[in-house]
Amino acid sequence: MEHRLHPWSWLFVLVQQLRQFVVPLAALVFAGQRSSDDGGWALWGPLIGVGVLVVVSILQYFTYRYRIGEDAIQVRSGLFQRNQRQIPFTRIHNVALHQSLLHRLFKVAEVRLEAAGGNKPEAQMRVLGLDQALALEQLLRHHGEAPQAPTGATTGAGEALPAPAQEQLLALDTAEVVRLGLVSNRGMLVVAAGVGVLFQAFPEKAAVGMIQRFFHEAVGYAGHLDLGWLGMASATLALLGLAVFVLRLLSVALALAQYHGFRLVCTGGRLLVERGLLARARSSVSPRRIQAWFLQETLLHRWLGRRSLRIDTATGGGDNDPRKLRELAPIATPQHCDQLIARLLPGSQWPPPGWQPLPRGGAAVRLFARTLPWLALAGLALAWQFGPWAGLVLLWLPLSAYASWRQAGRLGYALDERLVAVRGGWWSRWWRFAEVDKLQALGLHRSPLDRCLGTATVWLDTAGASALWPPLRVRYLPQDQARALVEELARMLARRRQVW
Amino acid sequence: MQPDPTQPQASPALPAAAPWQPLPRRGAALYAGGLALALAPSLGLPAGLVAGPLLGTARLPSLAAGVAVAMLLGLALGLLRHRRIGWKLDATGFATRRGGLWRTETLVPVPRVQHLDLERGPLERRLGLATLVVHTAGTRMAAVRLPLLDLADAEALRSRLARQADLDDAL
Repeated sequence: MEHRLHPWSWLFVLVQQLRQFVVPLAALVFAGQRSSDDGGWALWGPLIGVGVLVVVSILQYFTYRYRIGEDAIQVRSGLFQRNQRQIPFTRIHNVALHQSLLHRLFKVAEVRLEAAGGNKPEAQMRVLGLDQALALEQLLRHHGEAPQAPTGATTGAGEALPAPAQEQLLALDTAEVVRLGLVSNRGMLVVAAGVGVLFQAFPEKAAVGMIQRFFHEAVGYAGHLDLGWLGMASATLALLGLAVFVLRLLSVALALAQYHGFRLVCTGGRLLVERGLLARARSSVSPRRIQAWFLQETLLHRWLGRRSLRIDTATGGGDNDPRKLRELAPIATPQHCDQLIARLLPGSQWPPPGWQPLPRGGAAVRLFARTLPWLALAGLALAWQFGPWAGLVLLWLPLSAYASWRQAGRLGYALDERLVAVRGGWWSRWWRFAEVDKLQALGLHRSPLDRCLGTATVWLDTAGASALWPPLRVRYLPQDQARALVEELARMLARRRQVW
Repeated sequence: MQPDPTQPQASPALPAAAPWQPLPRRGAALYAGGLALALAPSLGLPAGLVAGPLLGTARLPSLAAGVAVAMLLGLALGLLRHRRIGWKLDATGFATRRGGLWRTETLVPVPRVQHLDLERGPLERRLGLATLVVHTAGTRMAAVRLPLLDLADAEALRSRLARQADLDDAL
């Protein structure tokens, strides 16, 4: 039988479309009200636009149907250009449910079916009733994980499926979510985005003028106070401290909104993640679809005694897509992270028993040499403004040298039958690892400096690798060691078939 | 009886190790010309604009000189780089290497080849060359390109890699 979308889906499609136009529409309405000669057109124009959008939304609701078949789901949509799409269950990597506050009010959810590759989801149902969405999710999970079920056991829409066993792997209480907010940089990103919206909404001169006026007033006020340079220095430090405090507070608020009630559950062989305070999101992934892993311990993580574990999956979507399952453990103790990895990678050893170090001296020199151009630039910029005080930049050199030495001591890689891992960072530590089966291609790069010093960089490519994290590569490796590593990996890969 | 084209044929095993094969020389001029044309506007025009006031010459001759120097540089660089491009197919997989100053080698194990493209522009068609693009499921090395390859070599590589992938799937 054919299913249709929820009766209220036209409202959500409308809201989705309006979100793109809300800023220009608001500007049009407010700007239009000021000029009185063509006030009629400026008032009716947006209303006609909204009317057209409503009609389009209702049409989209009426033309979208889906049907669940034996081994595929069929989706029909479109009024003038009819689309019919068949998606086999085994191709569906991820079923994501998303509920914003409005969705929760109406007890509906937006469902996205994602397959490997591509940036757009295979099917996007906006919106289904919540129980209908959950039933669909359970059905797809059941069919996707057990393709060899006896054909006599086809389930109709009304039969109840056996509830799979649920095992809770991680649950974050409010204290943990607050720690997550303290550790992350979300506040700064939001402020940056807010500044961007400010520049977009108002004409550029007005926005720049506003900011300039604000700073002039602040500096003028400070000048009136007659503090002397020590007072000024401490005042600026206090202001900076206040700014950092406010940003962290904002981060904590955002983390609470996005990660409250975070649960990582293993159900029927799939990993399911639920999170969110006002807007709930559910997404799932099968453990064997995990392509690569990223374990991170920044300085703040270390102070709080936590780490965070993230994964790459091969489903498409941008890096910032909130529906993509990226974080297995946004914040957890190191032991818990290790337990998770051991649970999800049975047969592999984590942490690796032995890390192969890199030649410390060479790596330290290379890391130090990378910071020199930036220091030179900073020195030049400061010299242009402050004259000889720019010499203070040279104080950074011994600090940078020490940091490079410690960092070179931590660099290393590990390779065994199942897993290849790279680690690095001293201030902010990271581990990047993947199963050898998931490697897609190997690269050997030698920059001119590498050729002078006899080293090379080995690149290991996996599917869906995030551009924001350190890539899976081994740098500053002596040339013959690098070639041996590439050849060993190639031999291992040539024997093994691709397993998705 | 004709062998069924849809069944994977047994093929001779790949050699354990193979030497690097260079590209045919007739593509060198095309490669160098392409690089020269790319560098002329992007490097030559700004250089000419900047050098004119610095050296005190008129604008048009300095621009022309900048573009000419950039084109000569592009030709020389292109010829050097074309000589360094190489490929090989052996038991470890399909490997390409390129680069003069920054040297890179890319190795795609045969089971990891997703699909192959053969691209031929009009000039390549006249010279009997083709560009082979090997697609993988990776992110950085998602498409490994080998330009200006001899057409017979390219087609042999394509059929060999495709057949090997078929055989592996059938096992």
